[in-house]
Amino acid sequence: MSHMITASLHEQQTAASANFLLTADSLVKEYGSFRAVDGLTLSVAAGEIYCLLGPNGAGKSTTINCFLGFNAPTSGTVRVKGLDVQQHAVETKRALAYIPELVNLYRNLTGLENLEYLAALGGGRAKSRSELTELLNDAGLQADAVNKRVGEYSKGMRQKVAVALAVAKDAEVLLLDEPTSGLDPKASNEFSALLGRLRDRGVAILMATHDLFRARETGQRVGIMNRGRLVRELATGDIGHADLERIYIEHMHD
Amino acid sequence: MILTIARKEAREIWRDGRFRGGAVLVAGLLAVALISGWQNYADISASHTAATEATWERWLDQGEKNPHSAAHYGVYAFKPMTPLSLVDQGVNAYTGVFTWLEAHNQNPFEYRPAQDGPALARFGQLTASTVLQLLVPLLIVLLGFSAITAERESGTLRLLLGSGVRRRTLAAGKAAGLALGLSALIVPAAAVGALALVLAADVEHGVSVSRVVMLASCYLLYFGAVLGMTLAVSAWARSSRVALLSLLALWIVNALLSPRLASDVARSLHPLPSAESFRTAINDELRNGIDGHSPQDTRQQALRDSVLAAYGVDSIPQLPVNYAGISLQASEEYANRVYDRQFGELADRMRAQEAVHRTLGIVTPMLAVRSASMGLSGTDVFHHEHFVHAAEEHRRLIQRILNGDIEKNSRFGETYTVGPEVWSQVPEFTYEPPVLASVLSKEAPSFMILAAWLLLTGLAFGLGVHRVAPE
Repeated sequence: MSHMITASLHEQQTAASANFLLTADSLVKEYGSFRAVDGLTLSVAAGEIYCLLGPNGAGKSTTINCFLGFNAPTSGTVRVKGLDVQQHAVETKRALAYIPELVNLYRNLTGLENLEYLAALGGGRAKSRSELTELLNDAGLQADAVNKRVGEYSKGMRQKVAVALAVAKDAEVLLLDEPTSGLDPKASNEFSALLGRLRDRGVAILMATHDLFRARETGQRVGIMNRGRLVRELATGDIGHADLERIYIEHMHD
Repeated sequence: MILTIARKEAREIWRDGRFRGGAVLVAGLLAVALISGWQNYADISASHTAATEATWERWLDQGEKNPHSAAHYGVYAFKPMTPLSLVDQGVNAYTGVFTWLEAHNQNPFEYRPAQDGPALARFGQLTASTVLQLLVPLLIVLLGFSAITAERESGTLRLLLGSGVRRRTLAAGKAAGLALGLSALIVPAAAVGALALVLAADVEHGVSVSRVVMLASCYLLYFGAVLGMTLAVSAWARSSRVALLSLLALWIVNALLSPRLASDVARSLHPLPSAESFRTAINDELRNGIDGHSPQDTRQQALRDSVLAAYGVDSIPQLPVNYAGISLQASEEYANRVYDRQFGELADRMRAQEAVHRTLGIVTPMLAVRSASMGLSGTDVFHHEHFVHAAEEHRRLIQRILNGDIEKNSRFGETYTVGPEVWSQVPEFTYEPPVLASVLSKEAPSFMILAAWLLLTGLAFGLGVHRVAPE
């Protein structure tokens, strides 16, 4: 039995040989008669930021939830580091970090205590308080804010804690769901810069957003989703902002 | 990982001003209840000790008189307070604390605080058991109602589950964390309780460590069951608001309604006779015989005939013994049969009522913990009956000694008086309460019910957490 499991793991890890840390293959997710994701196939490589664009209800968050293992696919597969998310729930979650639109932390704990707690649960290498403080500072959190309770934090500050958490748990994959929504331009720019640094460390990043500007600025590739389907994939280096906007609008009218 | 979650939960709880305020209030009330319980125990124990010594001296110093007059002079028997009564006063307030041991009569117990005190005192008495059975569960509810719902509502559940935390780990960590938070209240309160018990032990009787351990265990099982119920509701409820309202409703049923409902059910299933009808039934049987057709004079005639026949004489003055002693003792023994029957039936009904209470513990854990708490504190009906039985045995012994003296040492019709040489033949009344083993065998169902509650609520919590999903 253990030999079979080892063989299965090996086969799945071989599938990741192309260095794609995130893969969805013909992913379908239905809620009753409603098909939220319709045959999605995509992959994100190590050191790449892939932005999923689309209006509300396009299926972006459902896709993220499938990678997180919160939603079981109706058909098709989703893999993290080559491992099927449903079959290897804990291993795949250990490899990834997740930043939702609104990062919810424990209000009665400080930023440092939140990071300490969530990093310990995340299963990465144990880090000292000074190391964690440094990670928070690196993520852009002011030194005097580190020991303040999170109840006093702004949305941007909480996102910085979430980024520090991704680094603290040595995540190889980062999933983001509308992370820049509601951030002011300065905070949004800072956040993009942080993602860039994570990308440079080899982290595979999948970001769901409807911010076209941010997607083109931050990502290497952009996928446009509408009504559950991936209708277009583009390399951001090939197009300008206006072209992306035009293409996006065209697909929204399909 | 469980410990990590537990530590974080406890840290959050301790930082919560509402919990700190509630815990200080409950711990304060508990400390006050224990201290006033100890004060009450010390006062009553000292009074009992003094009264017991006084009644014995009074017995020995009663002077020269006929033994039967001494039998009517009687002695008082005082029910000793158990040290753990400072935790749970049980039925003491309703059963009375002393009785008069005299010829012919098994007297009821006197001095019932619930009867003698003002009516409102019945509702306002603060005891440690009230705090432990009513207020600590309320604190647990307020502490844990949002344990799971808040994680879901605030979105942190998504963060936890997304980090690879297993649901069963989360469940165990939550339970351990809440228990750890609660220990901030329980540990100091237990220390105050232990101190009060040590002080109480010096007053009259030693404290049975085994009883204390079992009492603590029964309350820990109860708190565990309430904690399990709180967490289970939090895991299954749609929102924190629904969880809180559901738990408050359950608390009202468990803590406030169930004891009263159980009493009503027990009373309707096994009604007790009124004091008047009980006394009338005894008097009827004494007068007309247990079968209703053997009046007292007929019984006396039969006795006289059988005694005369046994000694082979024709008249009472010819007897080598004093017939008055035989007659008095026979009358006592017949009355004892009547008392055994009537009081036995009454005790059976009271035991049946207790069994109803215990059985209804299946419905709410409050009834089970209440039964176990009173039993282990030595303040339940079982302990009262045990004392009643011991006191009655002593009354019968006194009558046998005094009637035997009349029979053997006096002549029929003569004036006969004796003094301290006979009074001192009566042993001083001493009482040993039931051993722990007998209490445990009686309370085993309560412990099993509490353990079942803990198991079932734990299971319900586990299942609830297993199905909980991020919003």
